Amino acid sequence: MRKLSVSLVLGVLILMLLLAPVGAQSGAVRLALTRDEGWLNPYTYQTGYPGWNIMTLVYDTLYYPDLNNEPIPWLVRTTRVSTDGRTWTLTLRPNLRWHDGRPLTSADVKFTFEYAARVAHSRWTPTTRNLESVEAPDPQTVVFRLKQADAGFRLRTLADVPILPAHIWESVTTVAAARAFRNTVGSGPYRVEEVQDGQFYRLAANPQYFAGPVKVRELVLPIIRDATVSFTALQAGQIDANSRVLTPELVAQFEKTQGITVMRGPGFASTILQFNVEHPLLKDARLRRAIASTINTNLMVRLLMLGYATVGSPGYLHPASPFYAAGLKFEGTKARAVAILNEAGYTDRNGDGIREAPDGAPLQFTLLTLAGNPVRIRGAELIRTWLKDVGIAVNVRVAEDAAIIDQVWPEFDVCRGRRFDMAVFGWSAPVMSRPTALVDLFHSDCRIGAINIGGYKNPALDRLGEQLVTTVDPTRQKQIAAQMQKIVAQDLPIHVLFYPETIMAFRSSTYDRWAFQKGQGYVTKLSFVDPPK
Amino acid sequence: MSEVSASAVPRVVRPARARIRFGGVGVVGIALLTVLVVSGALAPWIAPYDPEETTGAPFEPPSRAHPLGTNDVGQDLVSELIYGVRISLTIGFLAAVVAITIGTLVGVVAGYAGGWTDAILMRAVDVVLVVPFLPLMILLAAYLGPSFWNIILVIGVLVWARPARVIRAQVLQLRSLDFVEAARVLGASSGRVLRRHILPGVLSLSLAQFILAASNAILIEASLSFLGLGDPTAKSWGSTLYYAQVRSAFLSGAWRWWVLPPGLLITAAVLGFAFTGFALEETFNPRLRR
Amino acid sequence: MIWRFFAGKGVQYALVLLFAATANFALPRMMPGSPLVFLAGEDVGFMTEAQRTQLYQAFGLDQPIYRQYAIYLANLAQGNLGHSFQQGRPVAEIILARLGWTVLLVGGALLLATVIGIAWGTLAAWRRGRPFDIGSLAGAMLLESTPSFWLAMIFIAVLAAGARWFPVFGAMTPGAGLRGTAHILDVAWHLVLPMATLTLITVPTLFLIMRASLLSVLGEQFITSARAKGLTERGVMFRHAMRNALLPVATVFMLNLGYIVSGATVIETVFSYPGIGRLLFEAVLARDYPVLQGAFFIVTVSVIMANIAADLIYPLLDPRVRHAR
Repeated sequence: MRKLSVSLVLGVLILMLLLAPVGAQSGAVRLALTRDEGWLNPYTYQTGYPGWNIMTLVYDTLYYPDLNNEPIPWLVRTTRVSTDGRTWTLTLRPNLRWHDGRPLTSADVKFTFEYAARVAHSRWTPTTRNLESVEAPDPQTVVFRLKQADAGFRLRTLADVPILPAHIWESVTTVAAARAFRNTVGSGPYRVEEVQDGQFYRLAANPQYFAGPVKVRELVLPIIRDATVSFTALQAGQIDANSRVLTPELVAQFEKTQGITVMRGPGFASTILQFNVEHPLLKDARLRRAIASTINTNLMVRLLMLGYATVGSPGYLHPASPFYAAGLKFEGTKARAVAILNEAGYTDRNGDGIREAPDGAPLQFTLLTLAGNPVRIRGAELIRTWLKDVGIAVNVRVAEDAAIIDQVWPEFDVCRGRRFDMAVFGWSAPVMSRPTALVDLFHSDCRIGAINIGGYKNPALDRLGEQLVTTVDPTRQKQIAAQMQKIVAQDLPIHVLFYPETIMAFRSSTYDRWAFQKGQGYVTKLSFVDPPK
Repeated sequence: MSEVSASAVPRVVRPARARIRFGGVGVVGIALLTVLVVSGALAPWIAPYDPEETTGAPFEPPSRAHPLGTNDVGQDLVSELIYGVRISLTIGFLAAVVAITIGTLVGVVAGYAGGWTDAILMRAVDVVLVVPFLPLMILLAAYLGPSFWNIILVIGVLVWARPARVIRAQVLQLRSLDFVEAARVLGASSGRVLRRHILPGVLSLSLAQFILAASNAILIEASLSFLGLGDPTAKSWGSTLYYAQVRSAFLSGAWRWWVLPPGLLITAAVLGFAFTGFALEETFNPRLRR
Repeated sequence: MIWRFFAGKGVQYALVLLFAATANFALPRMMPGSPLVFLAGEDVGFMTEAQRTQLYQAFGLDQPIYRQYAIYLANLAQGNLGHSFQQGRPVAEIILARLGWTVLLVGGALLLATVIGIAWGTLAAWRRGRPFDIGSLAGAMLLESTPSFWLAMIFIAVLAAGARWFPVFGAMTPGAGLRGTAHILDVAWHLVLPMATLTLITVPTLFLIMRASLLSVLGEQFITSARAKGLTERGVMFRHAMRNALLPVATVFMLNLGYIVSGATVIETVFSYPGIGRLLFEAVLARDYPVLQGAFFIVTVSVIMANIAADLIYPLLDPRVRHAR
C-alpha cells in the first residue's frame, strides 16, 4: 500500500517535470509588466510607464514619439500649420481600419477629442483645454483650432492621445462607465486576445496593420509586481523581456550572462531633493544653496547607483535633452556650505551642535522619502549624515506613497498647499521630454505649474515660461529654455541629485530587435513595427 | 492562520510528567536569549565597525576585512547584525509589554467582573481576532507611519487578544476555587481578592504569554519590514532582509551571506523566546487547568 | 435550548459583524492620502478643479461621510460590494477571481498540514520521550520560529532560480493557453513551492496540538481501563485515544478554515501568486476603498462563520461539552 502511494507520488512529480517545458513559448515574446493595467484601453490602463506604452500597442495616436522622443507622423500623412500656430490641418492616411474592420476616419478623431473634454481623464482632458474646436470636413481631414499657439501641441497632444472608435465609445457616457469599459477594439498593431485578472495579458499581432508587418506574432505580458522576482524570471528564462529598468547591482551579472543582452542609455527619470520653498527657513535661497553644497552627488552616483547614473544638472534638464543649457554645473563643497551658512547668519548660538537662524529658530528638518525606493532611502540617510556634519539636524521619515503624497502634494493638487520640509522625490521620464517641463515644474500659478510641489514663485521665470509655451520656433525655444534653466540653477528650488541611467535587459535568443527609445527604454511600438512611410 | 502568527487558538493542556524534559528546553531557550542580549549590550565593543559608516565597497562578498561582506551601501554586515540585536529584541520586548499589559488587564477584568463587562470585552477580543490580522496590521502601519514607536504600538495592539482570552480562562478557574469563593463570601473587597488571590495566579501565566508574545512580535516586525512597512532607517534584522531582497540578493548569490544570517538570527531569537515560554507555561500552567 | 444558544450567540456575532463592517468603512478613510491617482490615472496633477470634482462625484466620494456610510451599509446588505477604484470592475468579481487561487493555495496547505500534523503528532506521542519525539519537538519549534518569507525566498533562490525545477512566479504559465490535464498539471507545478512553504510553517502548530492532546488523553482514566481490559497498544491508540485527541485539532482546523480567505500575503507576494492576501495589501497601498472594504468584509464573514461552525459542531463531536452546558 505504502509502496504504491510512494510510486504514485513520484510518478506525478516526474510527469509534472516532463510537462513543465510545455509552458515555454515558441514564437511568443514574454514581456513582464509591473502591475495590473486594467483592460488596456485608454480609460482603464493604470501607469504612465509601461501602461501607456502597452496601451498604444493596441490603439494608435496621430503622431508617435520616435527613438529620440521627437514626434513623427503616424496615423497622419501630412500636416499644415497656420502661421499664427493656431490652426492645424491634418490629413489622415487612407485605408485605416479598426480591429473590427470598420474604417478609421476623421469622425473618430473629432469624437475622441470631444470625448476627452467631456469624460474626465487626468492625461487626455487637460490637453483639450487649449482646443477651441475640432472639425472633420471630410473623412480624411481633421482641423484643430487652438485658443493659443502651443509649442508642445505635437508631442503632448497629437503624440499622446489615442484615437477611440466612435461607434463603440459613443454609448459610454460617464466617467464610471468609462473606467469599467472592457472593450479593446483599437487600430494598433496588436489585438487583446486574453486578459487574466492580475496575472497576464495576451496580445496577438494585427495581420492587417497599415504600417506594415508586425515583427512579433504574439505578446504575452505577465504581471510581476516584485522587482527581484521579475529579474529572477528573466534570468531563469521564464520571461524574455522586462519593462522594468535593470537595477545597478544586476548590470554586471546580466551583461556576463549568456543569452541576455543589456541596453544602456541616458535616463530621463530624475531623483531630486525637493524643498518646500514656502517653509519659513527654506525660503532663504542661501540656505538652500548651502544644503545643496553639502551633497556630494558624485559620491551618490558611485555609491548608490554604482556609477549607472548621470550627475544632476541644477537647471533640471538632462544633459542629453535637446533643450539642455550647456555649461550648467553645480559646484558644492562642505567648505562652501559652511562659508555660506556663516555669512548668512546661521550659526550655533547655544552650543548644541545645531545651527540657528538669526531669529533663533534651529535648523531642524524632516526629510521625507518614499518607502518603495531603497536607493532614495539610502540617499536620504547620506544627506542626513552630510547635513549633520555642518550643523543641520535632519530626521529621515520613510512612509508609503499615499502618506508621503498627502504631505508633499495633497490630493495631487498643487493649489492645496504643502506640509513638509524637504523630500527626496523624483519625476518620471515623460516629464523631462516635454519642452514645457520647466513651466509645469516652476510656474507660480498653481494651475499652470501643476507639478510645482515646492510652491516656488518667481515672476521672471513665469514670464519666460509663458513665452516658451507659445513659441513654436525651436531655436527660440532653446534660448528661452536656457535662460529659465540658469534662473533655476541660481535659485535652487529643487536640487537635482542624479538621473538614473535607463538600463534594459532582454533575452536575445527569443527576440532581439528591440528599439531603444532615448531616456525611456525598449517598450515602444517601434520595437515591433517600422514607422509608416 | 496568518503565517505571521502561527497559532490562533489557546494551547492545549500538556501533562505534568513531561516537565523534566522541557526543563532542558527552557535552559536552551534562556541560553539563546542570554547570548543574544549580551551581544546586543556589548555591541559597541564587539562589532568590528560602525554599521552606519561606509567602510567598504557596496555588495562586497565575504572577506577578511568583512566576514559577511557589505550591504548595498558598503556598510559591514556583521556589525549591522550585531547592532540589529538591539533593535529587533527591543521591538519584540516592548511590543510584548504593550500586548501583555492590555491583555492581562482585559483578561482579569473580564474574568473577574463577569456579566456585561465580560461580554463586551470578549466581543472586543472577538473583533480583533476576527478581522484579518495581516491586512489590519498593514492598515495600521500605513496609517500610523513606520516609526520605531508606531511599530511597537501596532504589533502590541494586534497581539493582545489571544493572551487576554487565555488569562480570562485562568481567572475564571481561579475565581471558582474554594478558598477564593470563601474569601468573597466572607466579605473581602474585590481589590483584596484580586491582589491576593487572582493576580498571583495570573502573573505567572502572563509571564509565559509575554515570552510567547515577544517571539511573535519579532516575527511580525520582520514581516512588516520585508513588506516595506517597517522603518528601514532602523537597522533591525527585518530591515537588513528588506534591503537584501530589494537589492536582488537572491539573484546575485549574495543571499548566502546577506539573507541566511539575519534569518537564522531571527529564528534563533524567536526560538529562544519560544523555548523559554514553553518551559514556563509548562511549569506554571497545567495543574490549575485540570 | 439550542435556539436560545443560537439567539444569544447569533446576536453577539451580528454585533461583531456590524462593528467590523464599520471599522472596514472607517479605517481606510482615516488613512492619509487620496485614491485620486487611481481614479484618474497618473497625470492627475494636471487636472482642473472642475474635473476633480467630476471624478469625486462619479465615485460618490463627494458625499458627506454619514451618507457614504449609509450607502455602504445598504449596499452591503444587498450584497453589492461596489466597483474597484483602480480597475473599475465590480469588487465581487475581482475577489471571486482571486478566491479560487487563495482557497487552492491556503486551503490546500491547511489540509496537507493537518494530515501531516496528525500523523507526525501521533508518532511523536507514541514514542514519547525518545529521540524521535525530542527531535520532532525541536524541529517543530524551529519551523515555527522561521520567518515565512525568508524560507520562501530561499526556496526560490535554490529550487526555482537556481536548479530551475520550479517556476519563479505566478499561478500558471502565462499565455500558454493550456487546457484540461495539461492545465491542471501546470497549475500544480506552480503550486508546489508556495504550498510547500505555507505547509511547512503551518505544520508545527498542528503537530504540537495533536501531540499534546494525545498525550493528555493517554493519561486519562478510561485509557488505563482500556489497557486493563487487555486491548493492544495499537487498539488503545486508534480506537480510543485518537478519537478524543482529534477534537482540539478539529477545532483548530475549523477555526483556521475561516482564515483561509484572508490569504497568505507574504507568500503570495514572494511567489507573485494571485491571491486575496496580496489583493488586500495592494488595495491598502492604493487606497482602493471598495476593494479593501469588500475583501475585509468577506474575510470577516468567513471567520465568523467558521467560529459559528466550530461552536455548533464541537458539542456534536464531544459529548462531554454538550451536557456540561
